[in-house]
This record gives sequence, structure tokens and C-alpha cells, in this order.
Amino acid sequence: MSKPLLVLENVSMHFGGLKAVDNLSFTVNEGEIVGLIGPNGAGKTTVFNCITQFYKNYQGNIYFVKEDQSLDLRDIDVTKVIAQGLVRTFQNVELIPDLSILDNLLVGAHNQFKTGIVAHILRTKKAREEEKTLKEKAYGILKFLDIFELKDFYVKGQPYGVMKKIEIARTLMSDPKMIILDEPAAGLNDRETDELEVLINEIKKQYKTTILLIEHDMSFVMNICDRIVAINFGKFLAMDTPKNIQKNAEVQEAYLGRDE
Amino acid sequence: MKILNQVENFFGIISKKIGKHPIVPFILFGLVIASIGFLPHTGLMRWGTMGVFAYIVIFTVVAMGLNLLLGFSGLISLGTAGFVGAGALGLGVFINLGFPFELAALMVLIIAGSMGALIGLFSLKVEGIYLAIATLFVGEILRQIYTQLEIFGGQAIRIGAIRFFGFIELSMINQFQRSILFLLITTMMVMMMIIMHNIVKSKTGRALMAMSRSQHAAQAMGISLLKYRLTAFVLATLFATFGGIMYGLYYQNVPTTAWTLDLSLFVIAMVVVGGMKSIYGTFLGVFIIHGIPNLWLKNYFGDISYIFSGILIILVIIFYPYGFVYIWYDLKRLYIKHKLRWMKKQVIKDE
Repeated sequence: MSKPLLVLENVSMHFGGLKAVDNLSFTVNEGEIVGLIGPNGAGKTTVFNCITQFYKNYQGNIYFVKEDQSLDLRDIDVTKVIAQGLVRTFQNVELIPDLSILDNLLVGAHNQFKTGIVAHILRTKKAREEEKTLKEKAYGILKFLDIFELKDFYVKGQPYGVMKKIEIARTLMSDPKMIILDEPAAGLNDRETDELEVLINEIKKQYKTTILLIEHDMSFVMNICDRIVAINFGKFLAMDTPKNIQKNAEVQEAYLGRDE
Repeated sequence: MKILNQVENFFGIISKKIGKHPIVPFILFGLVIASIGFLPHTGLMRWGTMGVFAYIVIFTVVAMGLNLLLGFSGLISLGTAGFVGAGALGLGVFINLGFPFELAALMVLIIAGSMGALIGLFSLKVEGIYLAIATLFVGEILRQIYTQLEIFGGQAIRIGAIRFFGFIELSMINQFQRSILFLLITTMMVMMMIIMHNIVKSKTGRALMAMSRSQHAAQAMGISLLKYRLTAFVLATLFATFGGIMYGLYYQNVPTTAWTLDLSLFVIAMVVVGGMKSIYGTFLGVFIIHGIPNLWLKNYFGDISYIFSGILIILVIIFYPYGFVYIWYDLKRLYIKHKLRWMKKQVIKDE
């Protein structure tokens, strides 16, 4: 169970004079749920953007283990990251408002369409069958997330909780080995957060994925994560089980300030 | 009685099976438009009216291409007219050089398509208003080429009767053949509508929309901006050029001075007024912008009719910012509301 899946080695990233991420190293093992926490502006989202190759000019190395071979993610184009089995969501839900929920899921399966535009124009048998199989896959995921009835509605106008679910559903379309969730519980009410907790555990079990998430809701993070990485001002503070993180003096200091 | 039921059942099954097929409405729509081509023979319609409808049919194809850019991909082009001109004039030049129609059309499409790809590459570097300016000058360069180069014949290129597959000859001058030509361009329009529908409902259409609505999400989902910007521009230019070929095919006499910025702007207005992201909306837009002033307003107001069409366009944009075609949803809502009210009344009566 404890095979490493994602390895960050001395990753640094700065914007001008600001060091957003400073010499950060940690490892996520296969099958884990890992939380990345830190006060506002600690550089959490920047770490995610480096991992998913939205930022290319970071220092250090990020490896992703695929079929027992470690892959330097820097060599991989941002649009090819998903094909490696690494997929993410965004802090502010990034969906296509004027497509139906079903079509939004199919966007997540973009790479799995093998037929070209000519086949689509002619609607060849192969193209139709491909569309059908992927639609059925989407139905399965929508049923799993309990939003199947909404599939033909536009995303625009859906409640925030549903949009968050759609974004997770979209990541599942790519059969990911690892899902990176950027604040999945932000904007959700208490009941929805509890639901999300169950849901993320279910996803881990059913889809056999590893999950790395940023979250500010501490009780949520403590309940759900196997291990937690704490960072402050881009610097590594600690990586440990939720219990030990809570006791960690440095983490307490970062959040609450020093007792003078 | 039993037989009647069976017949009804039989047709019910057929209509259910065919009716669900997505291309059926396009074909029905095409049949309605095609009938216009034969009305002048019966004296119910003037020949000029048919000419206006031919223009509408042609520009529906052009505007659909721009809709792919504007409505789906969030990109803009002010050079549309240049490419319509490329289609029409290029066809004329190649036919006059002695090429058969089919080959000439294919060559024009390939040339214009590669130019579209170039603009697509360029669009990766520039955004928004700068892209508009760049395409504006592409259109302007094309217009200058058409009017200055001798190969385009100065004022206009006369194509004359067009031969299909080397033996069927159709000329604009013969009234019956003109109807056939109208039927032909309507068929072409329906074909392009189906192509558009299939593109939009496929992976490509979704990728284009993802690209314009959220660039980051698109990239994270594996959609290459380079590939789909190119696709968008190539498709748009191909549609515009195809419209130009239809123009050359129907009118058989192509002016060199008509492909101005004005026309490009009118095509944008057609898309915006008719309905972004809507195929029938595009037709509606062309009808409002070109059809209404030319079919009716001109008869009453003469040259100032464009003032009225201007007012009409402003009204449409105020009340239907996403396009006039969305009036359909309002009508539907109204219908359902009245139906509900009527049903309520029935229930009260019954009680």
C-alpha cells in the first residue's frame, strides 16, 4: 500500500521577489488521502499549479509514478497531464456554464475519444458507438454521485453544491489514478460537507484513486485525511497523521501565532 | 377499424424512429426553403424575391462559420467577407482557367483553409480586440488583391453556365435552371447545417466551448489550445469560402468590390441578432439583417429602409441579447402558461 505515487523534491516557485513555494518536498503514497493545509497565502494552490504543470518554471523536481516508472512531470505538457492519470479540480468551480451536465462530463473524457472530426461529421458507426460508451460511463458516474436526474440541465443556475459535484464527476471520467482537489468543501454548508466526506471516501474505495486536497475546513481535513502536509509561506512545516499535526507546535504557531 | 389502427401504429413507429434522428428537422427545413425556388414559376412570387432568398441561404452558411468562432470559441474575425470573396472569385478564376467546377471548388477550399490555419496560429499570440484588428487587415488585404489584380477581371468575374461532372450544364439565365440552382444551394446549406450540428455536438464542439469558457479547465482536461484555435479558424474560413462558392454557383457573376468590411460586420450582426450557438438562429439572423429590409422595408421606405433595420436590430439586442431565436423559449413558456390556465378552468368547470 505504501508505494509512492507523487514525489515532490525541493520544489520552489517564485513570482518576482515573492517566494510562493520554498524548497518543498513531500511524498504522496498510493491509496492515501493527503491534505495540504496552511494559512491564506501559504502557496497551496501554487503547489497544485506546479504539479499539474500550469507553471513550468519551478525549480526542483516533481515525479509521478506510472506503471512502476517514475515520470518527470516537467517533460509533460499541461494538456497531457490528464492522460497520465493525474487530474484536478479548481478552487473557483471551472465548468462550462452553457453545456449540459452530461456534456461537461464528456469534456472530461476528451482524451478518450479516438475518432477524428471527419468521423464525427459523417457520424460513422464507430464514432456513434464511442460516444455511446462514454455517455454510459458518464451515466454511471452521475448515478454514483446522485445527480443523474439533472444530466440534461445546463450547469448555469445549478446550486453550488451540485457544481462542486459535477467537477468531481468530470475528474472521474478520466479514470484517474490521482485526483487533486482544490478546496472541495469551500462554499458548502455543513450537511453538504458531511456528504462530501462520505463521497470522497467512496470515490477512494470504488475508483481506487489517491487523493490530494487543499481545504480550510479543519474538521473536514482531520476527519478525512490519512496524512496531512502543513506549509507556511511556501515552506514545509510538517507531514504527519491528523492527530500529530494537531499537536505540532510549529503548525499551531503558523495558525495561531506565537505565545509571547 | 382494426386495419386503420394498424396503419396508424405502423406510421407511428416509423415517425418515432425517423423523427428522433437529429438530421430530420434540417431536411424538413431544407424542403420548405427549397419550395421557394419553384414558387416564381407559379406566379406566386417574384423572381427577385427568390434572389433575396438565395442570398439568405448563402449567407446562412457564411454566418454559421462565424458562429463557430464567435458563439462557440469566443474568437472574432473581421475578415469574413474576404474569405467569401475568395470562394466566389477563386471559383471564377479557376473555372475561367478551364478547370472543372468540382476541382475548382476543392482547390479554393484548400487554399482558403490553409489561410485560415495561418490566422489560427496567429490568434495564439493575440487576444480580443487585437485579434479583431489583425483579421480586419487580413480582410482588407484580400479586398485590395481582388480589386487590384488583373486576374480578377477588374469590376467582376463572369463565370457563366456551370457544368457539373462535365455534362450537366446549369445557367442562371434560364428560369428553370435557376430554380435547379436554388435547389442545389439549398441542399448545400442543409448539408452544411448537418455538418455544423455534428461538429457542435461532438468532442470538437465541446472542446471549443471549454476553450472559450474556461481556458484552465480546458487545459486540465487535455484540450490543446493550439489545436482547437486552429480548428476553429479553419472551420470558419471553410464555411465562409463554401458560402463564396455557393455565391459563384448561383449568381455566376461575381463582383470584385463587394467584399468589404461592411459585409464582414453585417455577418457579425447576423450571428449576434439571430442567435449565438444556434443553427436556426443563424438563418433567422440572416433573414432579419438581409431579408427583412430587402423583401419588405425597401418597398415602403426605399433607401432609408436600413434605418428601420437598424432600429430593429437594436430592439432585438435589447430584448434578446443572446439572439432572436431565443424568442422560441418565451413563446413556449407562454403556451404552457395558457394551457395550464385553460386546464385549471376545465377542472373547475368539471367540479
